[in-house]
Amino acid sequence: MSKVVNPEQVTDFVRAAREAKSPFEIVAGGTRRSVGKPMNDLPQLDVSGLSGIIKYEPEELIVTAQPSTSLAEITAVLAQKNQRLGFDPADWSRLLGSNGVATLAGAASCDASGSGRLRHGSARDSLLAFQAVNGLGEHFRGGAKVVKNVTGFDLPKLVCGAHGTLCVLTEMTFRVFPKPQFAATLCLSDVTPEIGFAALRKIALSALEPAGLAYLPAAMMPNAGQGAALIKLEGAAKPLEEKLAMAHGLLGNTASRIDEDPFASIGNGEKFADLPGHVWRVMIAPSDAPRVAKELNLQHWLGDWAGGVIWLAASPSDASRIRAIAASFKGQAMLLRAGSDARAALGLYAPQAPALAALGRAVKAAFDPLSLFNPGRL
Amino acid sequence: MLLPPTDSKIVARRAEIVSALQAIVPDGVVADKSGLATFDSDALSAYHQTPLVCVLPSNREQVSEILKYAQAEGVPIVPRGAGTSLSGGALPRQDGILIGMGRMKRILDIDCENGCVVVEPGVTNLNITKAVEANGFYYAPDPSSQVACTIGGNVAENSGGLHCLKYGLTTNNLLGVTLVLPGGEIVTIGGKSGAQGGLDLLGLVTGSEGLLGIVVEVVVKILRKAPVTRTLMASFDTVSEAGACVAAIIADGVVPAAMEFMDGRAAEAIESYNQPGYPKGAEAILIIDADGVEADVSHAISRVITIVAECGGKTVEATDEKQRTRIWSGRKAAFAAMGKLAPDMICMDGTIPRHALPYVLDEIAKLSEHYGLGFCNVFHAGDGNLHPLIIFDIMKPGEFERAEEFGADILRLCVKVGGVLSGEHGVGVEKRDLMVDMFTTAELEQQGRVKCAFDTKGLFNPGKVFPTLSACVEQGHIHVHGAQLPHPHLPRY
Repeated sequence: MSKVVNPEQVTDFVRAAREAKSPFEIVAGGTRRSVGKPMNDLPQLDVSGLSGIIKYEPEELIVTAQPSTSLAEITAVLAQKNQRLGFDPADWSRLLGSNGVATLAGAASCDASGSGRLRHGSARDSLLAFQAVNGLGEHFRGGAKVVKNVTGFDLPKLVCGAHGTLCVLTEMTFRVFPKPQFAATLCLSDVTPEIGFAALRKIALSALEPAGLAYLPAAMMPNAGQGAALIKLEGAAKPLEEKLAMAHGLLGNTASRIDEDPFASIGNGEKFADLPGHVWRVMIAPSDAPRVAKELNLQHWLGDWAGGVIWLAASPSDASRIRAIAASFKGQAMLLRAGSDARAALGLYAPQAPALAALGRAVKAAFDPLSLFNPGRL
Repeated sequence: MLLPPTDSKIVARRAEIVSALQAIVPDGVVADKSGLATFDSDALSAYHQTPLVCVLPSNREQVSEILKYAQAEGVPIVPRGAGTSLSGGALPRQDGILIGMGRMKRILDIDCENGCVVVEPGVTNLNITKAVEANGFYYAPDPSSQVACTIGGNVAENSGGLHCLKYGLTTNNLLGVTLVLPGGEIVTIGGKSGAQGGLDLLGLVTGSEGLLGIVVEVVVKILRKAPVTRTLMASFDTVSEAGACVAAIIADGVVPAAMEFMDGRAAEAIESYNQPGYPKGAEAILIIDADGVEADVSHAISRVITIVAECGGKTVEATDEKQRTRIWSGRKAAFAAMGKLAPDMICMDGTIPRHALPYVLDEIAKLSEHYGLGFCNVFHAGDGNLHPLIIFDIMKPGEFERAEEFGADILRLCVKVGGVLSGEHGVGVEKRDLMVDMFTTAELEQQGRVKCAFDTKGLFNPGKVFPTLSACVEQGHIHVHGAQLPHPHLPRY
């Protein structure tokens, strides 16, 4: 393992790896190492030393940080100015059984969005700029540190969700937003998936700008009868009360306010941490959620993003069935937690259509022609 | 600015190319002189070239066949939507096929349940909203050309508008596209689920200015129309006060739906043009929209009124929808109003960090004196996107060139203060030669390699965005001596 603490050292390391044609795994907090195809025993580049906030400009609504800055640190610093990151990063460490520290770059690289994606988009919607070292050993910038920019190709989008396969990040600039003063959650109990998801979509398609919309069946939420639809709203004190009243009206005055905020554990996948088997995230068009849940016919599942994602725990023997159901609804089934053999066999996603897959490989080669970075992970 | 040299060998084969295209699209080839004149420029009208031929496909199969033909024959391609690009993105080539996408304008699927609409690329931006407004929805990005510009062009340019701070650009409002690659392959990226199952190529294609392929289908997000929108107008004695006010509003946690700045010159020109009721003598005016549910809007408006007063400004709130429209009609007529002051005008488009506004405006005033040309500034203050309008008379020798130099200096200034060359209009031909002021050689080469991943022969929209022709065969590490540009043997234009 080699440890680097500044961009120059990253450049030196990549140049040496290029010279030796020696691929490596990029590791920071290590919480997401078990996502995607296993790296086997490749050498590791430890980038955890690239940590810390470089410049926080609350009035410009941007923050620039080193990539291995922890989510906890950045969240705390932004909160001091009543702001939050532009996206809702998910911390999968408990789900994946890691004691490591979840980082900014880890969340963005794995496109790990929590329940707030519904309202705030994912990492790709808020990463404005980055610096990195490409597979040629060149330090380069993508995007720019302003909130509106169309100059050249939008490379920050590509970096998000690339699982570290394009470059080694050395700096990231994100949009930030004001943090709502208050939040509250409503619970519509004892409803079937059909009724629960219909209620969630009603709120999703209203002007209430909900911050979380999830359905949990009985097995995932005790004391909620057949299952519960959960609705999170945000705002200043008085507006929040009025929005809650409007949501009550839309739901036929059948929901009740609950004290706890269940969305952090939903978005981080913690509800599945103690369940055996594979854990999947199936992304679909929200209105298909009840039918997808019915076809999956599993005990342990939930729907977040108003039905746009179904989380589930399943036996390894269900894998091909889950992929087939996702495909039949034009969705994507992401294998988030599994043993290394299953991950090697199944991949993170189902194979893409040949022309699209070839295009993805060509884009990867445009950054990393020798396939040095996290080879095969995506 | 120089346009790319024309390949006379291709021009000599014109008749053969025209008949090949007629075989693919029998009723959609424009090859006569007067017909082609319609297509000789986009909204950057100072530049024009007659295309070799223009073809108007009706479906994706025809697009694919055209591209396969062009690829096999080595003929450049220029995609075009409605031709409203302000950066010359759709400027034709004398040796290239112009593909007009205007005939593919069907709305394929209105899916309010999933908050999305599936459209062909030739549907205009505004027609998406019109198709869903009866259901209470709208499509958020609203470039000022929205009556005419097409969604395909919006995807190519990653178009913005007045409401980007809160609602994002085109890229934040898409779920998927179907793209025909330069080799003719048809790929679908994303869809109603928004998931791609691999690299975010949707994000890459959006804003790629017609360099990577041709979009033949788009899945856009639609949003519920806010039940309440209120509009405030704030006037200030100094630009600095207005700038400080914008910062204070943001710092307070208010995210306005729109926050527009105009300087005293712009306000004066607009007031004499269509009398929207802008206060006389103000050095800076802000127009601020808050939208959402009643409670959120009331909260935001009361905060803004307080903050404006603290910053030394005066506010007037539109009392009804008529007055709201009137206030906005002035801002939207800024171009036309300036057009009355001089026969010609160019609209620049850079983004700056908001805190740099007073400095940048001072510097622009100095540049104006230096070049002897008039100007005014409108500014999407919420997101830092500055639009200086430069006025000149093209009939006066040298004025157009001076206006272009003035504009280029403004954009260099934007880069110098930490901003960018383009916030929403794109690079096109207009800002192509300034890319070296913003990006290093390694950075331009990195982008060039991404271009090559899609377009190995370099046939798509050549001469746009990048200042040197990309030579895909030269991929790999290119050693550069000193400040010498890469590919010294390749023409720079």
